[in-house]
Amino acid sequence: MEDSDNTSSAVEVQNVSKSFGETAVLRDINFKVEEGEILVLLGASGSGKTTILRIISGLETQDEGTVTFHGRDVSELPARLRSTGVIFQSYALFPKMNVERNIGYGLRLRKRSRDDIASRVNELVELVHLEEHRKKRPSQLSGGQQQRVAIARALAYEPDVLLFDEPFGALDAQIRTRLRREIRSLLKEINVPSIFITHDQEEALELGDRIAVLNAGRIEQIGTPYEVYMYPQTGFVATFLGAANILVGTFDSGSFRSGKVVVPLSDSTESFREGQSIKLVFRPEDVFLRKPDNLKQAFHSLSEAVVEEVSFVGAFERLQMRLETSEAQRLIVTRPKTETAMNPLKEGDRVATGIVRFRILPNFPLGSETAGKIV
Amino acid sequence: MSANLSRLRHTHGFDIVKPLSVAVLLLMMLPLILLPLASIFIFGMSAGIDKFWDSLTAPDAIFALKLSFVTSFWATVFNLVFGLFAAYVLARYQFWGRNAIIVLISIPTAIPTAVAGFALLLLWGPYGLLGQYLPDDYRIMFTPYAIILANIFVTFPLAFGVIMPVLETMDRSLEEASATIGASRWQTFWHVTMPALRGAIVGGALLTFARSVGEFGSTILVSGNLSGRTQTAPLYIFAKFNEGQVEAANAVAIVLAVFSFVIFSILFFARDWLEAD
Amino acid sequence: MKYSICVLFVAALLFSACLPGPTSSVGNRTITVYAFSIMKESLERDIYPAFQEKWRQQHGEEVTFNSSFAGSETITNQILQGAPADFAILSIELDVQRLIHAGHVPEDWWVTAQRGIINRTPFVILVRRGNPLGITDFADLAKPGVRVIHPDPVSSGGAQWSILSIYGSELKKSEAANGARDEAKALETLRAVWKNVISTPGSAREARTQFETGYGDALITYELEGMLMKQAGALIDVIVPTSTIFSEHPGVVVERNISAEEREVVYAFRNFLWSDEAQKAFVRNNFRSSTNESFDAANAGFVKIEMPFTIHYFGGWEKAYPDVIDGIFRQQVKDNR
Repeated sequence: MEDSDNTSSAVEVQNVSKSFGETAVLRDINFKVEEGEILVLLGASGSGKTTILRIISGLETQDEGTVTFHGRDVSELPARLRSTGVIFQSYALFPKMNVERNIGYGLRLRKRSRDDIASRVNELVELVHLEEHRKKRPSQLSGGQQQRVAIARALAYEPDVLLFDEPFGALDAQIRTRLRREIRSLLKEINVPSIFITHDQEEALELGDRIAVLNAGRIEQIGTPYEVYMYPQTGFVATFLGAANILVGTFDSGSFRSGKVVVPLSDSTESFREGQSIKLVFRPEDVFLRKPDNLKQAFHSLSEAVVEEVSFVGAFERLQMRLETSEAQRLIVTRPKTETAMNPLKEGDRVATGIVRFRILPNFPLGSETAGKIV
Repeated sequence: MSANLSRLRHTHGFDIVKPLSVAVLLLMMLPLILLPLASIFIFGMSAGIDKFWDSLTAPDAIFALKLSFVTSFWATVFNLVFGLFAAYVLARYQFWGRNAIIVLISIPTAIPTAVAGFALLLLWGPYGLLGQYLPDDYRIMFTPYAIILANIFVTFPLAFGVIMPVLETMDRSLEEASATIGASRWQTFWHVTMPALRGAIVGGALLTFARSVGEFGSTILVSGNLSGRTQTAPLYIFAKFNEGQVEAANAVAIVLAVFSFVIFSILFFARDWLEAD
Repeated sequence: MKYSICVLFVAALLFSACLPGPTSSVGNRTITVYAFSIMKESLERDIYPAFQEKWRQQHGEEVTFNSSFAGSETITNQILQGAPADFAILSIELDVQRLIHAGHVPEDWWVTAQRGIINRTPFVILVRRGNPLGITDFADLAKPGVRVIHPDPVSSGGAQWSILSIYGSELKKSEAANGARDEAKALETLRAVWKNVISTPGSAREARTQFETGYGDALITYELEGMLMKQAGALIDVIVPTSTIFSEHPGVVVERNISAEEREVVYAFRNFLWSDEAQKAFVRNNFRSSTNESFDAANAGFVKIEMPFTIHYFGGWEKAYPDVIDGIFRQQVKDNR
């Protein structure tokens, strides 16, 4: 067993692969979680994120690869020797024990003295603000309260890492947002490295210090929320985090060309071969619409488009447009209220479109470029 | 007519079907269950309370009741432990032959109790397959131990059948959580699994015990029916009936009936407590 | 709270867990007796205490009796399977034969003055109080409108006795009248009676219960049973036919189960059953004596039977069963019903 050293990450997953029978669920997963960091594993159902969690906690064994905590290799250890705190989707609170007994379970297993247990439990009950509920049974608590008990229970024995399995899935949307922030501030307060798994991109963006986007058992990109959102490295990441419009075209004399749409790529840093198939990726909120004669030059203009459908989505307006290129591409555009007030549009209107910001990605027909379904 | 009744139901909340079905239910139960039960009590008391009490306090009667309770107690203990163990192994592990074992465990319910008793005699009796090799002082058959053995056989699948479904449908994440918190498999079993099975364990125990106390067909074969030594309560009732002492038989029968009633009342009323989280 | 519940629980456990001690104390000598049900009263109330007293005086030792009572066939089955009987009192010699074949009882068990028979009881007819249908003999049971309860001869020893009594009484009467047994007449009577049988329960006990609850008009059964029923207050009359069979109850020592030390006391017990004291006790309990017919007079309920016979009238069970039960009854009466 290696000695833990200060330069190692809190959690390090290296080259982990796992198959169930014939099906490969994880392929060559690599990532690190630093001390005090919150990492979010984001992916659709079936992308393998739950499996990663189970492998890290020891509930599942990997076929290949290693898992280390602070430099200590735990790959061969059973779950109970690993010192991870898992918060299950259903919270898995022991129904016949009250809040205090649940929280103290790990300490009782470790044969701490009655006093030690009592003081630690007190500490944790205060930390998660459940003082008035300490004698209650799980069935008498709300979903959010149960989750806090689960966290306290996991923290009691000072684990190396906390693992959260889609913890907000069972809660209402409103509570979800509030809880998200509370949990994040709590985790920052206690400074324990945590890994969340979720399929909710908004949650990922708000919760994580870094996000790892999973698709069909592979990590497509790891980065801060800003990086992953603004600079997606693959089409999948672009469409999974926030919506994205993708136009396929070719690299032609320093520009993106697709039918009538020409966008000069002078400020893009990637180099492409002449004639290479590339994708133009841009977000709905980065599209600017004007009546044909009012388009300013500051935008990279695309061709003209016709409004097909206008939807009111509360804080903004979503439009479905038909872009006039050779294959009549569809575009999704969102406009804030200020825009719609100044420049109202209805079905059938013809407008000029321009994009403020875009990404160019090579158009590889990789498996991961499809929408992330593992069979 | 039915249109009017439907209207009545919707507007005034009066449903004719409700009192009607309850009445039919009671009418069906009356001749099949209620009257036979009542007749035991009526007949047992018909010779007067004194005679009833005398019959009940006869040494052989008291012995028979005690013997029934003690042998049933031990059979229940064994079948509970076994049932728990078997249910855990079969619910948690997959292996070749698993389904065959489940079927085998359940077989005793399909076998007539007399056949079960006879099989035990053929095996462990003084001239039996294995029994013939037993030294004289260690006879099993025709002793109370034979009664316990027969009861174990006959009630074998009961506790198991109650505990197994609970184990199978239990949320595994509880056990997984316990493991990640640091518990060994035994600790998880003791602190997490068992408490969740509390209701099933008590229910299984009561069921086994009640069934065991009433067991007759196998007991009459393996016990030797020695009054005051190996005669259980059901055997006692039967013997008294054969001798023509019907009041004495009824007295003990009443005790058994009351006892069963108490057991199932417990099962029913405590059901909620047992199942509660 | 949890702690105290545990303590209570364990206490209850320990209390209930021990097997109860036997009701009768364990003395120096133990005799295990398996006897048919109706023997219980006379054995436990009169015979056991008397023998215990006698043995105590003669040898200064206490004798303990273990008893098991059930139907004769059941007892035999139990002994065959190894039940620890030292002495058995059965209601039918057939059962003794079974024990002999299995090696439990010696073949010469009957070589005594009483041919091994402990006591006897004749077969009689029970009718409703006042004898409304005027039954005086077995043949009267064939009268139209008479409903007879008769247990199934397949499972009931008592039923077999009953058939032999009907059949045999006709043979006896024709023999006394004409010097020869009229088998045809006997068969005809048997058939006629059987036509009136409305119920065939599995045992004599069940037949008696059916009759007691008001079913049927007549029941052929042991005189002993009839008298017990009458004493218990049943509204019946006991009709004693002119000719009937005596059911004789053998008592056998189960040699296979007794050790050399036990032989003395077990045989002493058997012999005690033939003592005047024991026989008089049997008569008080409505059995007829097997040693001395004059003792029977002590029981006011007994009526002298003019033409009694026993199983030996048919040549013993070895012939009676195949000839009468199987050959005549099963093949010619039952199947031709």
